[in-house]
Amino acid sequence: MTTPTGTAEQPTTSPRSGLWSRGAGHYQSVGEWWILPAAIFLVVFFVVPLVENAEKSIALSQLLRPGTGDGYYLKLFTDPYYLWVIGQTVILSVGVTAICVVVGYPIALYLVRHAGRWSGLVIFLLIAPLLTSIIMRTFGWRVLFARRGLFNETLMDIGWIERPIAFLNGPVPAVIGLVHVLVPFMILSIASVLRNIDIGLEESARLLGAGRIRTFMSVTLPLSLDGIGTGAILVFLLANGSFVTLLLLGGGSIQTLPLLIYQQFNTTRDFGFASAMSNVLLVVALACLYLQLRLIRRRGVKGG
Amino acid sequence: MKDRSILKGLDRRQVLAGLGAAATLPLMPRTALAADVKQITVTSYGGIWERAIRECFVTDFKARTGVDAEVLIGGPPQWISQIEANKDNPPIHVLVATPDSAAVAVKAGLVDPISVEKVPNLANVPQQFIDMALGHGAAFDYGAAGLAYNKDTVKNPPKSIKEFVERTIAGEWKAGLPTISYAPAPQAFVWSFADALGGGVENLDPFFAAMQKMRPNVVFWTGVTDFLNLMDAGEVDIGVYYDGRTWAHYDTGKTYIDFINPEEGGVMSPVCTMKVKNAPEIAWEYVNSMLAPGPQAEFAKILNYGVTNTQVQYDELRQKRITPWEKTRFPPNDRIGELLPAWTERWNKEIGA
Repeated sequence: MTTPTGTAEQPTTSPRSGLWSRGAGHYQSVGEWWILPAAIFLVVFFVVPLVENAEKSIALSQLLRPGTGDGYYLKLFTDPYYLWVIGQTVILSVGVTAICVVVGYPIALYLVRHAGRWSGLVIFLLIAPLLTSIIMRTFGWRVLFARRGLFNETLMDIGWIERPIAFLNGPVPAVIGLVHVLVPFMILSIASVLRNIDIGLEESARLLGAGRIRTFMSVTLPLSLDGIGTGAILVFLLANGSFVTLLLLGGGSIQTLPLLIYQQFNTTRDFGFASAMSNVLLVVALACLYLQLRLIRRRGVKGG
Repeated sequence: MKDRSILKGLDRRQVLAGLGAAATLPLMPRTALAADVKQITVTSYGGIWERAIRECFVTDFKARTGVDAEVLIGGPPQWISQIEANKDNPPIHVLVATPDSAAVAVKAGLVDPISVEKVPNLANVPQQFIDMALGHGAAFDYGAAGLAYNKDTVKNPPKSIKEFVERTIAGEWKAGLPTISYAPAPQAFVWSFADALGGGVENLDPFFAAMQKMRPNVVFWTGVTDFLNLMDAGEVDIGVYYDGRTWAHYDTGKTYIDFINPEEGGVMSPVCTMKVKNAPEIAWEYVNSMLAPGPQAEFAKILNYGVTNTQVQYDELRQKRITPWEKTRFPPNDRIGELLPAWTERWNKEIGA
């Protein structure tokens, strides 16, 4: 840490506190109670609702099947249909995350290393779609994938197909829609890490005889794993909980837990089952998050 | 340094006093708050419906009472959940709901019983439209769910639901059908088709068998305006839809669209208006506006839906467009409500969410 005078020094740690505030030219320890507002906020708006949600899923289940507290969970984990939905939720989230890495990394690299004075414009273009409603963006894809949409018209014009393909009934538009919505999070996460990599390290590798690909694989990529990890976590969690895109694209070809949760609230009003599904979704997300962090750490990069 | 605090000029004691006063607001008698009501919150579906609600009912209510009405867009299940979450101080004061949702609201104790004393215009509403809301409101308009189609691409339209199903399976057109997540779909689509194909509320097998065969030629829609977007984009040629909304779309210049009341009869699809329990008493006046002949006639003119006040005289065009209620089928709403979770699960497993 650097003081206002420019000299590097380590703050004197107090056994009672790890929090610091800057006083007149030096750092002072502050009490733990500074985190109290944030802690209260988290407890009231996150922990309490979670506990209530769990309690509700069991209480309503008992009402439905007296003497048991596991009716909904039993159904979720024994009915092949619901197991298939849980699996599809995870596969979709992992798939979308992987596509975002593949699509996003080159753009992040271009942004940091080659965009130069255009980098502001590239960042604006990345962020601009986020300023539009997700529903508008999703409807845009529906127009493009429609029977008389741009893709079908183009494919027919160049003679690749004779009649329009029913894109909207398949999973492809849904995956593309999700990637479109989520890839900016991946790009910005990777770019922020790439920007901090000392370019001298890559130049040293090149001077020592490594080619472009070897330099990238041995130096740039490993050093940017933190960015990929952060982006992957963000994209995975957002994909895991998204339902608007899947509601409007894919024609029901992809069924995920968020879609079923929405349905329990909107159609059947079975709040207990919705609570049980949301708890399962949370646990699945946490398990995947844990695995991702383990994977990143095993690759030799410090975890978050 | 300049003090930018919003609390500038207030000492700690004043701030605490203010917070204390705010904390006691929920404890005050409701009548004290209701006496000074400046605005109530009412509900509406989206699209052309919202415009009609604002122009016909909100305008009349505001002119008569001086109280404004904020219009909340959405659907009955969502609104009922919002009211249930805060029964003592409901965020919604007048609920519009399909009969199945109205039954849920009544059974959950979320709405007040209606009477002519509270709503004078109720005197001119036939009893059957009050019974639909279980005496806790009344249907103020109705549509018929039949088939809307594109005259340019469907030259020889089907006359019945049965014919529509057979020709969809044959791949004569792309059909737009609602998903089960669309609130009125269980009555307007699932029950209607099961009934037309020889099944019924207790037997959906003919419906699901037909759906499996129709699926390759079907695009699902999730909301009322969604179907029109699909029609405009050329994504579907025909589908399950309402008479009123079809004509409203026609009137916007989309003259390619037409409506068929199938031989089996379109599905009676009324919308009820209900005052939410613990809402300010002035909300009854809004319900009264919704049942008044003047605003209802205007509503019918904009939406081309039938209305329920017997004093309303339709103009010539509306007489031609509005499906007479005698030519509709009344779905067994109560039983459908009971079976809905099972129907939804079967739909998910056999057709998709």
